[in-house]
Amino acid sequence: MSSVLIKNESRLGLKLVAPAVGIIGLLVIYPILFNIYLSFFDVQLNGTKTFVGMENYTDLLGNPRYFHSIGVSVIYLIGTVVGTTVLGLAAAILMNQEFRFRNLARGLILLPYFAPVISVVFGWQFIFDPVNGIYNHVVVDVLHLTDTRENLIGNPDSALFVVILFDIWKHFPIAYLLFLAKLQSVPKDLYEAAAIDGQNAWGRFWHVTLPELRFVIATVVLLRIIWNLNRFEDVYLLAPNVETLPIFTYYQAFAGIVDQGVAAAISVIQLLVLVGLIWLYVRKVLKW
Amino acid sequence: MKSKTSLFVAGTMLVNGLLISQLTHAATVEFWTAQTQTDRLQNIELLASTFEALNDGVTVKVVAVDENEMATQMAAAVAAGTTPQLIEVNSEIIMTLGEEGIVDTKTHQGVIKDIGKNRFHKGALTTLTSPSGDYYGLPYHGWIQGIWYRKDWFDEKGLAAPNTWENIETAAKALTDKANNQYGILVGTKQDSYTEQVFTQLALSNNASEFDAKGNLVFNSPATLETIKYYKELAKYNPPGPQNWRARDYYLQGKMGMFFYSTYIMDDLALAEVAKGSLSSENFKELSGGTFDPELVKNTAFAPIITHKSAASYGTLSGLVALKTKSAEDTKATKDFIEFMYDPASYITFLHMAPGGMNPMLKGIAEDPAYLEDPNGVFKLYGADKMKQIVSGFDDIRSFSVVKGKTFPASGAIFAKSVIPRMIYDVTIEGKDPQAALDSAEAEMKAIMGE
Repeated sequence: MSSVLIKNESRLGLKLVAPAVGIIGLLVIYPILFNIYLSFFDVQLNGTKTFVGMENYTDLLGNPRYFHSIGVSVIYLIGTVVGTTVLGLAAAILMNQEFRFRNLARGLILLPYFAPVISVVFGWQFIFDPVNGIYNHVVVDVLHLTDTRENLIGNPDSALFVVILFDIWKHFPIAYLLFLAKLQSVPKDLYEAAAIDGQNAWGRFWHVTLPELRFVIATVVLLRIIWNLNRFEDVYLLAPNVETLPIFTYYQAFAGIVDQGVAAAISVIQLLVLVGLIWLYVRKVLKW
Repeated sequence: MKSKTSLFVAGTMLVNGLLISQLTHAATVEFWTAQTQTDRLQNIELLASTFEALNDGVTVKVVAVDENEMATQMAAAVAAGTTPQLIEVNSEIIMTLGEEGIVDTKTHQGVIKDIGKNRFHKGALTTLTSPSGDYYGLPYHGWIQGIWYRKDWFDEKGLAAPNTWENIETAAKALTDKANNQYGILVGTKQDSYTEQVFTQLALSNNASEFDAKGNLVFNSPATLETIKYYKELAKYNPPGPQNWRARDYYLQGKMGMFFYSTYIMDDLALAEVAKGSLSSENFKELSGGTFDPELVKNTAFAPIITHKSAASYGTLSGLVALKTKSAEDTKATKDFIEFMYDPASYITFLHMAPGGMNPMLKGIAEDPAYLEDPNGVFKLYGADKMKQIVSGFDDIRSFSVVKGKTFPASGAIFAKSVIPRMIYDVTIEGKDPQAALDSAEAEMKAIMGE
């Protein structure tokens, strides 16, 4: 190819990607840069900005509640990611077996994922209401397991676990869906070969199913980490006293008058953490 | 020829169209109200339409914004350049917005001049006055808080009315029977404004305050600490876990002996219909089938004043706030609309949306025969004298933000950041040491004031 042709081609290439670069620049890069810029200012509602240097960052890192919320977030992340993955995998393997009404069951499993968050949150709150809820009614009045009524959602010791349970219940169907799709494409002869080699059910799961699913599992875990590190609405609606990182950010920056400088500082840190986590995961765990 | 005529016609129409649109240059009043319930919104829409009919070319757009969301939504609107012309919200948020420099104090000045300064209840106007004497808002309606209690249960057990710290604690203890799902009292333990309201009344009765008359922060005091410890005691007789005002439904169900609440409860208590509506709508689903106790009004009494070191009544008010706009037409229309809202006919229509809950801020309205004829007959049930007594409280309203006639807007910012509710939550639910919680609340207050 002549050099003119190559030049023309690369010029065309540039023109073709220009719109995409422009849109990403405007909608992603610019806000990130502006956010970083804002994080060094105290911003008033009428637009007045006062330069405060690193003060927003030092205030934040000097706040013990910030580190507490990181701890809560870590427990929340581990609990929900492991929970949805394991439950999703179990459901997928079960639903991959032949049985009557299988299609009906496959559909029903998806329901929690489809239901609107706000309505299921209220449902859970009614169930666990300390005075009128069905949970306390059954445990205290019917079964007489204990004579003290518990506010499981309100009590900070149990609230985190209720929130984790809620997230697992609400989101395992998406994991299940992805696993099931992959399971259906695993060739039957692999299982037959393993059976001939003398593997029992556990061995077939360990040596055939898991390796085949490896990348789907990795994707599910990655997606769940990204989603749940930023998850706000489920936690805030169900138990606002469980201070995960996004909830902490909300209280710190958005409750009452918006503190745009502090909010910007928090989101810069959160972005760094998220990017760091994903890098670590992709490079070290997935070895992509 | 034909084409020339049609061109001429088209041209004339275009010019006319421009002229007409010039003449009726539309002024817009976007009005954000904290009244989000459908029936109240319909009422406000009705007032807005009436005003539109009386004023050609003015459009009033009513938008409902939840009170807890108001500050956040305002921030977003100001940042986006879509600030509304007028909002109706509680005094704490008004003072905070005032300090942000987005409030049109000139319009307020004009309205007060037109209506007459002396017609407003003095304490109410002071609450919304800035340290430099500007009006950050115009008082529109307000409520008084107190303890509502089961008089029949108190009589049965020989308990004294809950108007002192000792009486309240004794009664709360006597009326609690957790094994039978019965609770003595409701105090706020969630991180929201209800908690701050309950705490404030108790703190004021113990002479605790946020600021002294010079504006120094004096929150971290033995009096505050004592109030927190007392609050923690009371919280033992609460329904389990963190609670807010929604738990008043337990009282309506006969599962609670007393609860802190504003005069807003009056119509809920007065009318079985109202209470049923309230129970089944947004609160607790399983309550909708619950039976309403028609004897509840008769058996309920109100203790508005709590005495410990001093007598404290507590209430708060909501005001109308005009915001700075670029258009002179909009500003003029906003002023006209505010004055229309203070006109007795429209004012009473507004206040009747929550008889007892919304009390007038202008003198004379409470004695107006039209005011005492509320559609639900609530005032008849409670009597005109009682109403007058409640309203007169606004001449001498107490809060953390007003000390000896001076207003400290920082108190509004502290309120907006829920510092006190989080302190109470930490102590009552997380079991944090009261002094430690008080220390960190004080540190947060200082940080907010330093900003």
